[in-house]
Amino acid sequence: MGDYLTTAVALSVMVGAVRIATPLLLAAIGEMVTERSGILNLGIEGTLTFAAFISFVTVDRTDSLVLGVLFGALAGVLVSLVMAVLTVTFKVEQVVAGLALNLLGVGFSFYLLRAVFDDGGTDVPSVQSWNVVEIPGLSAIPWFGDVLFSQHWLTYVAFVAIPLTWLALNRTGFGLELRSVGDNPAAADLRGVNINRIQYLALAFGGLMAGLAGTFLSIFATGLFFPTIAAGRGWIALAIVIFGNWRLGRILVGAVFFGYLEAYQLTIQGQGTDVPQQLLLALPFVLTIVALVINRSRSNAPIHLGVPYLRGVR
Amino acid sequence: MTTEATTADADLDTALLGVHGVTTRFPGVVANDNVSLTIRRGTVHCLLGENGAGKSTLAETIYGVHSPDEGYLTLNGERLDFRSPRDAIAQGIGMVHQHFELVMPLATVENVALGTTGAGWLDLDRVRRRLEELCQAYEIDLDLDKPVGELPVGLQQWVEILKTMYLGVDLLILDEPTAALTPAGVERLFGSIRRMREDGLAVILISHKMHEVTGISDRVTVLRKGKVVDTVDTTSVDAAELTKMMVGRSVELSKVTDHPEPGNRVLAVNDVTAGSATERGSLRGVTFEVRSGEIYGIAGVSGNGQSALYDVLVGVRPADRGKVWIGSTDIAGLDPRAVSALGVGSVPADRINQALLMDFNIDENLALGRHRDKPFSLRGILQLKAFRSRAEVAVDEYEIATPSPTHITRVLSGGNLQKVVMARELDGEPDLIVVHQPTRGLDVSAADNVRRRLIDERDRGAAIVLMSEDLDEVLSLASTVGVMFEGRIIGEMDHTEVDLDRVGLLMAGVVDASDSSEVMV
Amino acid sequence: MTDTASPELAMAGGGEPASTPRTRAARRWRIERRLQTPWYLEGGAIGGGILLAVLICAVLIAAAGSEVLASYQALYNGAFGTRNASIETLVQATPLIFTGLAATFAFRAKVWNIGAEGQLYAGAMGAFWASDLLTDAVPRFPLIVTVMLFAAVFGALWAGIAGLLRTQFGVNEIIATVMLNFVIINIVSFLLADWWQDPASFYYQTARMPDVVALPRIFESGRLHLGFIIALVMAVLVWFVLERTSFGYEVRSIGANPRVATYGGIQSRRIILATMLVSGAIAGLAGASELTGIHLRLQLDISDNLGFTGIIIALVARLRPAGVVVAAIVAGALTNGATTMQLTTGVPAALVDVLKGLALVLVLLAAVVVNYRLRRVKADG
Repeated sequence: MGDYLTTAVALSVMVGAVRIATPLLLAAIGEMVTERSGILNLGIEGTLTFAAFISFVTVDRTDSLVLGVLFGALAGVLVSLVMAVLTVTFKVEQVVAGLALNLLGVGFSFYLLRAVFDDGGTDVPSVQSWNVVEIPGLSAIPWFGDVLFSQHWLTYVAFVAIPLTWLALNRTGFGLELRSVGDNPAAADLRGVNINRIQYLALAFGGLMAGLAGTFLSIFATGLFFPTIAAGRGWIALAIVIFGNWRLGRILVGAVFFGYLEAYQLTIQGQGTDVPQQLLLALPFVLTIVALVINRSRSNAPIHLGVPYLRGVR
Repeated sequence: MTTEATTADADLDTALLGVHGVTTRFPGVVANDNVSLTIRRGTVHCLLGENGAGKSTLAETIYGVHSPDEGYLTLNGERLDFRSPRDAIAQGIGMVHQHFELVMPLATVENVALGTTGAGWLDLDRVRRRLEELCQAYEIDLDLDKPVGELPVGLQQWVEILKTMYLGVDLLILDEPTAALTPAGVERLFGSIRRMREDGLAVILISHKMHEVTGISDRVTVLRKGKVVDTVDTTSVDAAELTKMMVGRSVELSKVTDHPEPGNRVLAVNDVTAGSATERGSLRGVTFEVRSGEIYGIAGVSGNGQSALYDVLVGVRPADRGKVWIGSTDIAGLDPRAVSALGVGSVPADRINQALLMDFNIDENLALGRHRDKPFSLRGILQLKAFRSRAEVAVDEYEIATPSPTHITRVLSGGNLQKVVMARELDGEPDLIVVHQPTRGLDVSAADNVRRRLIDERDRGAAIVLMSEDLDEVLSLASTVGVMFEGRIIGEMDHTEVDLDRVGLLMAGVVDASDSSEVMV
Repeated sequence: MTDTASPELAMAGGGEPASTPRTRAARRWRIERRLQTPWYLEGGAIGGGILLAVLICAVLIAAAGSEVLASYQALYNGAFGTRNASIETLVQATPLIFTGLAATFAFRAKVWNIGAEGQLYAGAMGAFWASDLLTDAVPRFPLIVTVMLFAAVFGALWAGIAGLLRTQFGVNEIIATVMLNFVIINIVSFLLADWWQDPASFYYQTARMPDVVALPRIFESGRLHLGFIIALVMAVLVWFVLERTSFGYEVRSIGANPRVATYGGIQSRRIILATMLVSGAIAGLAGASELTGIHLRLQLDISDNLGFTGIIIALVARLRPAGVVVAAIVAGALTNGATTMQLTTGVPAALVDVLKGLALVLVLLAAVVVNYRLRRVKADG
């Protein structure tokens, strides 16, 4: 009996880990691509929130979950294009622009939420949400079927995005140019690569992925929206990129691991164990710092990350 | 220049690229001044000149990095308007840069492929096959899939060359391509340049190594201070004539004839090394001495260790081996502040990135380095009155043209910036003064002003190390001339025995005049 | 990349250009950095940015179906309409002055301390611990001083971790401070749920702190406390240290050009670490000021993004301490007036966050734009 319970708990933790990992993975893949082009986008948290809100409102108004995903993703692209105008065109300090976008993303969402839904009531509005998609056949596999093949379709997208992104970065001319721009924009420029265009596209992709992640939070996982819905996930995505040392495989490990910690924490929270769950929650961030220190000699961080490129100025 | 303009029409049929009255200005500097020349198909055309003569700027203008303020370029008689290197590449112009422009974490094959592919599927195998052919043809042993950053410098240089060869260009610009190559590597490169010439390509080779110029080029354009001195057929001149054109014989500027008798030894540099032997610009055993009342002039082409020597002398960089004595103190382990406290004033080569905080006010810059000492600071509190009065004195004494002594430094002209640096560094009558490129980018009167200051300091009894790539400057000021080449002083002579030809050859690495003929062939 | 030559194409041409050269008769304008930006342009950039933000928010208000002028009037009334409202505005401004100064100090050295939020919690932790430890042993005035010192030291130590990571291991301080924010919040959360939890309460909070550690109130009515005065003193102090001490000179030098600073004999690693410590200490004081001036309980919600708002304030104030005080009071007024605005006109209070964010973005953009000017490049036949 006890064994059965433990197994059931372990299973539900793993299922939860993959679910929780989904938005982290999506956002981290996007941020990784953005950073590989040399732009440090700290505005993920605001992007997540804004996209979550837009998809939520879309579903509320149109009753179309498909449009919800579409507009949520577009909202993410929109935020990242603002970032692009600020940092690529006007060379505003990337850190500052990212922080400003966080404030704007959260503030806008909160404001519009009240403007759209305010009827004086205090109850949180809710909309329909996507159901889990069980993959026929595969979902019947014991344990693995539940963990990997009874998830939201966006979760499958996130997992499929890993090899696709890898191929795009490593097996296409565009990917080659993107990686070069992040490591040595002057060299790429002299070779005729359009730096600004690459960085705009990289930011747009990052925004698209963060937009999907935000969509996941509102119209996949919950059907709710509230201003703190991102709950630091934008920052965790950033941490995962560093933890993963800008490598997709390790980013996947990082996302699932961070998702596991949270799922585990949620489980023990309900059971009242002695393990200090808050310290468990701090672990990802401590590990990220440790990873930075350990990896410093063989870091894959883009060499020109965070430094605006001006032709002729090094 | 006028002859060039007329011949430009005459050889239209062989002319590939025309440069017509190009002037390129940077803030405070005219890098190219009304430059005109013609590059013909099937020739190797050398751009020869000292550092700062404007060779690289001209090459980069042809490659679309800079757009000229005046004048224009033509290709096959049609006018060009490049906005970026992309436009140049599209017109079949390739360039190998003096500083490596490599993406270090990427493999050779990726570096070569960069910019040559579409956005879509990357066929590295095709690039690799073509590269393997090239490597075989030029006998280069290179792991194409290793990150470029892990390759030795010599091979990195080959990667740069392969990048342009791969592009298959009509006009190839090589900006000092041999700096990191072994003699055998240079021969291989020259072999391939000759083959390109036979294929009808035009090659622009930037160099200041005489034997390279005379050994491979068909025509030479000599630049000095941004202007074209002349364009000649290589066969019609010899190395000595070119050297004279390059350094400018006319500039017999106020050659100092009275040299006081030197006093005690102030600086002794003994077999100092810094950086690895393969690294460009490292020190590989520098030895010299400077006495009080002496100007020790170090001549040499830039990149031969001058910057490293400057950094070691002022305490920014420790020597790996060897000793530096200032007075009776071994400066090992001392930081710049402690070295300065020994009575050392120093004027670095780059005013804007080494000497002055451009966003600070002039009075603040005049205190930099002594901002913790009296009278500028008392118990950690800045004494603004002292700042101001020092600045007033300095502005007055050095005739610094500024709206006020407390104005922001950024607005000053190059000459006035250098006056601020000199005012700061010469204050307090230092025993040793180290100056690097003290007149670079200055106009004639500002440069003259700086030189007169240095002579005054010498007469006061200071020992002065003068490192300059302006040979005239070194020869006219120095009591003793040392020539620096590849991290060593390879020749030293007293001002009485200075011979321009010998200095020129030493700068090109020729120690013994008897083997110069051999090298120059 | 269709405009990039493929090697075959260029080769095949055999001397012929791959395409016709583009010719253009007239030359273009060139954008150049100004040597010096006049003060009126810089001031205009700040003013113009804020004005534009206000205008955009007016559109938002109108779009939400509310009266623009009435809403801004309500916002103003809520912030400054009565004596008590004005006092409350200063209450809201107090922690922002601290965090704004913390960011200002670090940013002047171009040390990107994004961790004021976490350092604030560290400071609050230190303050609570000191008061817990010493309340019965020490009389009131020295107790308050000690509590403040503990907060400063805790804030400094927490920032010092990021400082050491940067100077010893070359770890980027932006990433380190962001990560440390989450770490400290979870540590505080742990303490509140466990060691320090109020046994009489179900909530994650400490027991109410004794009145002796409470910062004295400045006025009879309202919550304005000594923390505001301390914040003003800090502003003067930060200005003085930056502009009038040799340490501040070195901090500014590193921000202006670290390479020149090194040649000028400044030990940059030491100064960067010291800058982090000072910045963290000031942020720590914000925590103590909020804890002992307002809440008197350590709770997770003692800061509503005060650290991040401080960064915005510092940047809008162009890293000038006096400007930080002004910007913090404006930001405090917005927070304070927002409630009134929402109650009387129905415009959501979150509008002020949008306003702050927009103001920052637009001021930054304007600041970039005024640093450049257009120059006509001479045409030449």
